[in-house]
Order: sequence, then structure tokens, then C-alpha cells
Amino acid sequence: MTWHSLFDFSTMANRHLIAAYAVVLGIQAGYLGWVARNWMRAKGSRD
Amino acid sequence: MEQRTPSLRSVAWLWFGIAVAILIIGFRQAIFLTPTDAAQGDVGRIFYYHVPIAMLSLLFPYLNFAASLLYLYWRMRDPLKALAADAFALASAEVTVVYATITLLSGMIWGRVAWGIWWTWDARLTSMLLLWLLYVSYLMLRNFSPTGQSHTLAAVLSIFAAVDVPIVYMSIRWWRTQHPAPVFGGGPNAGMDKSMLPAFFWNLAGWAVWGIFILLFRFALERRRQINEQEAALHAIEASLEIPQ
Repeated sequence: MTWHSLFDFSTMANRHLIAAYAVVLGIQAGYLGWVARNWMRAKGSRD
Repeated sequence: MEQRTPSLRSVAWLWFGIAVAILIIGFRQAIFLTPTDAAQGDVGRIFYYHVPIAMLSLLFPYLNFAASLLYLYWRMRDPLKALAADAFALASAEVTVVYATITLLSGMIWGRVAWGIWWTWDARLTSMLLLWLLYVSYLMLRNFSPTGQSHTLAAVLSIFAAVDVPIVYMSIRWWRTQHPAPVFGGGPNAGMDKSMLPAFFWNLAGWAVWGIFILLFRFALERRRQINEQEAALHAIEASLEIPQ
């Protein structure tokens, strides 16, 4: 597979492959972002 | 203590960098280097994310289980240790929900192409949904219960929730329904082609290293919150003692 064929949205299989990878990366990045945001807000007493 | 924080931060950044590097290798292997599955076509590449994450979603509940047991053991004997165990239980429950959510969604996206349906009440899918619901209810109990015993109740719930983990694992061995048969340890016809192994193991390693990173980061956040709350309570007590009678 190449970048070009990966982003070929003409088939249902390709659309779902992209969707699955986007869901995985999006949820993981979203959770990390949420933890990091709260980490910055809950400033530690030693910082 | 002053020197410990910067070095811990460096280790955390290094760990994060390693996780991202392994995941990039895993992505490259899964999408570009592994040959297309003869039976499923390119949609079979979902397997390289779905299966490692599904396997890890059955490991994090045991961390929650162990931390909950330690919390229940220490809560009367050593409250400070109990607080740390409670923070770890919360972090592991959240990571379990993240991994289980991804497992369910990526499986549904694959199922729509492979089976023609988004969902079926198959033994594996149903037991996995039940696992997700149990850990979501664990988090909701902690967040919304008005009683002062919510952490203890949540710890007890987590012990019951952990019972579902072996059921999820064994479901595709006990009941042969719609979900594909186990890839590993599923009998003489199980296993995968050698060409698929690098993509699978790089992604398994990558999501494991990533999972440990976010678990410890969430644990550190909860510990920071706990310490801030303790210091705020201490200041409030000190301030009340300074009020002239």
C-alpha cells in the first residue's frame, strides 16, 4: 500500500481502514491531551 | 527532591519519545510493508491496531484490580499508601476504558466491511461491551456518588469487574460464534503468516509502551491533585486556628 492508495476513498474498505486508524489515534491523542491540560491546570506546589 | 523532578521529567519525555517512535515503525509496517491479506483485502490492516489494543485492554483491568485490593487493605492501616493505591486504581480504570472503547469501535468499523453489520450480540462482543460498561460505571461511581465511601465502593466494584476479564478472554474459546477464532493459542489452525508478525509485534510493543506512559502520567496527575487537596485542607486548618477567639 502507498500513501496515495491509503487515501483513496473510493472503496468502503479503504474508508473504513482510514476511519479505524483515525479513531485509534484520535482517542489516544485526545486522552493524552486531556491529561496534559489537567496537569497544567493542577499546578504542583513544587513547580 | 528538588533534583528528582527534572530527572523524572526527562525519563517521561524519553519514554514518550520511545513510544511515538515504536508506533511510527508499527504504522509503517502495518500500512506500507505488510502484504495485503488475501482473504480480507486492505481492511484486514485494522487487525494490527485492533488486536494489540484489545489484548492490552484485558491487562489494564488487572492493574486496577491489584491497586483496588491494596487500597482496601491499606485504607485503615496506612491512609497515605491507600491514597497512592487509589490514584493508581483510577488511572488504570481510565486507561482500561480508553483501550476498551478503541477495541469496540475499531472492531465495529471492521465488522461493517467484513460482516456487513456494525454489531452483533456475539459472545466476545457482548462480554467486551460488558467490560466497558463495568469500568465506565466504576468511573461514574467515583465521580458522582455523594457519599464519602465512594472510593471504597468503587474498589469493591473493581474486584467484581475483574471477573469479566477471563470471560472476555475465553469467550471465543468457549463459544464459537461470529467473532473470528483466536489468533494465538487457538489450536493447530491458529496463528498468522510470518509476513504479518513484524506489524503485529511492533504495534503491540508500541501501544504497550504508550499505555504505560499515559497510565503513569494520569497517576502523577491524580497524585498532584491529592497533594494539592491535602495542602489546601492543611492551610484551611491553620487559618482557622489563627482566627482570634
